[in-house]
Amino acid sequence: MATQAHSLSYAGCNFLRQRLVLSTLSGRPVKIRRIRARDDNPGLRDFEASFIRLLDKVTNGSRIEINQTGTTLYYQPGLLYGGSVEHDCNVLRSIGYYLESLLCLAPFMKHPLRIVLRGVTNDQVDPSVDVLKATALPLLKQFGIDGESFELKVVRRGMPPGGGGEVFFSCPVRKVLKPIQLTDPGKIKRIRGTAYSVRVSPQMANRIVDSARSILNKFIPDIYIYTDHMKGINSGKSPGFGLSLVAETTNGTFLSAELASNPQGQGAAVLPEDLGRNCAKLLLEEIYRGGCVDSTNQSLALLLMTLGQQDVSKVLLGPLSPYTIEFLRHLKSFFQIMFKIETKPCGEELKGGDKVLMTCVGVGFSNLSKTLK
Amino acid sequence: RDISESKVVGDYSKAGLLQTNGLSKSLNLESSLTVNKATLAISDSGHCTAEEAFASEDETEESSSLNTEEEDSENEEVIRKKFPKSSQVAGDQRLGSENLIGETSDVEDLLKEEEDYKEENDYSTETSGALKWKEDLSRKAAEAFLRQQQATPNLRKLIYGTVTEDNEE
Repeated sequence: MATQAHSLSYAGCNFLRQRLVLSTLSGRPVKIRRIRARDDNPGLRDFEASFIRLLDKVTNGSRIEINQTGTTLYYQPGLLYGGSVEHDCNVLRSIGYYLESLLCLAPFMKHPLRIVLRGVTNDQVDPSVDVLKATALPLLKQFGIDGESFELKVVRRGMPPGGGGEVFFSCPVRKVLKPIQLTDPGKIKRIRGTAYSVRVSPQMANRIVDSARSILNKFIPDIYIYTDHMKGINSGKSPGFGLSLVAETTNGTFLSAELASNPQGQGAAVLPEDLGRNCAKLLLEEIYRGGCVDSTNQSLALLLMTLGQQDVSKVLLGPLSPYTIEFLRHLKSFFQIMFKIETKPCGEELKGGDKVLMTCVGVGFSNLSKTLK
Repeated sequence: RDISESKVVGDYSKAGLLQTNGLSKSLNLESSLTVNKATLAISDSGHCTAEEAFASEDETEESSSLNTEEEDSENEEVIRKKFPKSSQVAGDQRLGSENLIGETSDVEDLLKEEEDYKEENDYSTETSGALKWKEDLSRKAAEAFLRQQQATPNLRKLIYGTVTEDNEE
């Protein structure tokens, strides 16, 4: 166990981002072995290499060692530096893949982070920039990360496989995070959304809006779905369309759902009507799961609770996602923080799926500048 | 002149006596009230659960509050009248206080009797039938807790594994 206190060792390619982000925040080196060792194409993928390069850009003094085949990675984190950065993200994954980790790291930089990310803004795998803007930013504000310079902007939209999108993200730096007490999600107050279309007929977005409203109008009158049609150089390199929906509750919780069309040349063509209806149903599913943080941001909320002041934080979540469960295990090994987990069965006032009340005491941000041993 | 003056004085003194009587009465009532309240408080702590006890207390409280209101108005009048003749008031109050002691002791006795009566009433009627749900409350709570524990999955164990559970114990 003496070696574990010094550096952590993992095997396999799963949860690479989690491990590297937590390693950076805790200051503990991490060694990852057997990355796709038995695969026909062994080693790190290009998008993972791009992620490691991004980490190298925002930190100062990181040591990264990768073996010849790329199956073993040793990462000794440096200090989070921040400042103005530009990064070309790999088009295999969307900018959301990179942005999710940056959202975890940005509040703890030495200098406020101002970063331009280029690549795919919306795809079918990762949370899109629109959804992160609508859900993750309000969540960070709950922790006291706020200000004029806190913004996330889609400058250009890029769809896979070509990409060509551009996103600007800037985040202020905070000394301490506020502990949160989010135990009452409230009731759904309004639904907002963005239907986007690039390099296809602008009418696509309108068809998506109509079909999504056909389902959502039965539940709540306050619905507004923006249509976003970008033209020229702002429309990226590939055609596509999609929809992201966000439901806001009376207590300031944001629950999101999204769908995007199949990339050009892959899979069958998607009808915008189907896409709109399915996305609306996904939003209803997300509302059924409920909680004070939507399922894409569960791990972000838990991380910021862990890194808060030495005070009790509470958050009510919907059913934990597999990613979040693994994240909890990682939080335990990197920060020695174990959450108190209480299941709250759906009673009279708590409609929908079973909820989980997560409670923890923060490690205290002041400890982070030192190396945690 | 002298006669008329003396008459006036006599009238005054009579009026003063009357008023002092009123004052002493009100004082008596007040003191009895305080005693009343005190006994009520005692009986409260004894049998705060029984419904009938509550009802009877409510009644007495209502009546007493009515009394106090009346007395307050009386007192105010009396005091307004009395202020110019403060010397008389001082003398009369002594008289009044003597009366007061005698009366309060009587009232206390009465109240004590009432109290005893009430207690009997409480024990005889309330505890037998209406409060069955209160029996074995701790056992019921323990059962409900265990039922809840068994029904809900132990997420902590699922997430962190069994090793941590052992460490905790």
